[in-house]
Amino acid sequence: MQSSIEGGPAFAYINIDLDPGETVIGESDAMSSMAADLDLDAKFNGGFFGGLAKTFLGGESLFVNHFTNNTNGPRRVTLVQGTPGNTRAVQLNGQEYCLQPGAYIASTPGVTLGVKWAGFKSWFAKEGLFKLTVSGQGTVWYGAYGGLLEKDVDGEYIVDTSHLVAYEPQMKLNIQLAGGLFSSFFGGEGFVTRVEGKGKIIVQTRSLSGLADWVNPRLW
Amino acid sequence: MQIDVTHRPGNSAAKVSLQPGETITAEGGAMIAMSGHMQVETTTHKKGEGSILGALKRLVSGESLFLNHFTPAGAPGEIFFGTALSGDMMEYNLNGPGLMVQGGSYVASAPSVNMDIQWQGFGKTLFSGESMFLIHLTGMGPVILNSFGAIYPIQVNGEYIVDTGHIVAFEESLTYEVSKAGKSWLSSFLGGEGLVCRFRGQGTVWCQSHNAGSFGAAIGPSLKPR
Repeated sequence: MQSSIEGGPAFAYINIDLDPGETVIGESDAMSSMAADLDLDAKFNGGFFGGLAKTFLGGESLFVNHFTNNTNGPRRVTLVQGTPGNTRAVQLNGQEYCLQPGAYIASTPGVTLGVKWAGFKSWFAKEGLFKLTVSGQGTVWYGAYGGLLEKDVDGEYIVDTSHLVAYEPQMKLNIQLAGGLFSSFFGGEGFVTRVEGKGKIIVQTRSLSGLADWVNPRLW
Repeated sequence: MQIDVTHRPGNSAAKVSLQPGETITAEGGAMIAMSGHMQVETTTHKKGEGSILGALKRLVSGESLFLNHFTPAGAPGEIFFGTALSGDMMEYNLNGPGLMVQGGSYVASAPSVNMDIQWQGFGKTLFSGESMFLIHLTGMGPVILNSFGAIYPIQVNGEYIVDTGHIVAFEESLTYEVSKAGKSWLSSFLGGEGLVCRFRGQGTVWCQSHNAGSFGAAIGPSLKPR
C-alpha cells in the first residue's frame, strides 16, 4: 500500500494505492473518487453495538466503507474529510492513540476503533463526553478543520476548547478558566483545556465552532 | 488574452490581461477588481445578444442569471475574478472536443466559447444531490473554472468512479452514468456514499478535493436558523 497526503494544509486529501488483496477502511462519505473496479462494502463500524456506540458517543458514522482491491494490479482510492483543513497519518504499533470525535478519516484493517469515557470535563471543553481511541497495528488517517500543529508536552500545556484534535492516552485533560475570572470572560478566551503529562498533542489552528460563532451574528 | 491563476490553491484569483477590444465573459458577481477603463456590458447570453431561455437555463444550473462582458477601451486592461468559496481555479483551453462543467464551477470564458446548458435527465440527476444541469462548453479558446478545495485531474482509461459532489468538469469524450458506489444499493446508501458518477471511455475528469455539501453538513447544525 502506498499513500500520500496531497493538497495540505488548506485542502488535504489522501491518495491510497491499494495493492491486490489489500483493504482500506474509510469513514462514511469520505470517498471522493476511486478506480471503478475496487469493491466497496458498507459495514458496521465495529459491529452493530460498537457502531451505535461510536455514532452516538464518538461522533463517528454508524457505517464505514471497506475498499478492497480484488483486481490484479494497484488501484487508487481518494479519501477526504468533510471540512477543509489538514490531515495526518499516524502509525500504530500496538500503542493507543486518542482522537477528538469526528477527527477519524480512514485506517488500515489492523486498527481497532473504540470509544472511551472522557468525562464531564471533556464535554465541558467542547471535546465530547467520550473520546475515540484507535489501537492495534497499522495506519490511521485523521484530520480537522484548519491546520494541524504538533506539540511535545512535558508537564502542562493549555489548549483552547474545541482545538484539541489528538493526543497520546497518557495525557490527562482538565478544564479550567483561561485566566482570572475577569480576563477569562472579557478577554474572549473563556474556558481552556489543560493537558498534563508527557507526550505529543495535535492542535487544530481553526475550529468549526469558532467559524459558526463568527457567522451566526451576521445571519439575519 | 493572458490568464494567470494566483494565490493558489486556498484563495485563488484569476487575473486576465486584455488587449484593447478583447473581451472576457464572466458569470455575474465574479469580478473582484479591474482597470478603470474597462467597459462592462451585461446580457443574458453572448455579448450583444439576449436570451431569456438561456438565462433561465443558466439560473437553474446553479449559475447566475446574467453574464458580464468586460472589454478595455483604448488601452490594455486587466481584471481579477474570484469566487465565494475558498478553493482552486484552473484554466482550460478548448480546442476541439467540448467540456462538460458542473453547475457552479464556471467562472469565465473567451467570447469564442459557446455555452449551453444541458439537462441531464431524471435518471442521472434526480437523486444525485447535485445540480440537474451541466454547462456544455464548445468552440475554441480559454475557460476559467473554480472548485471548492484543490483540483486534481484523473486520466480515465476504461472506467472510474467520482462522487457526485466532487466533479468540476470532464471532457466530452467521456460518457457517464449515475449509479451506486458499492456492490449493492443498500451498501451504497448505508456507507454514506449514495450515488456516484461512473465515467467510461478515454479522457480527463477534474475533481475537487472537497465537497461543499459535506462542509455545509458539518457547519450547518452550528448555525442559527434564519
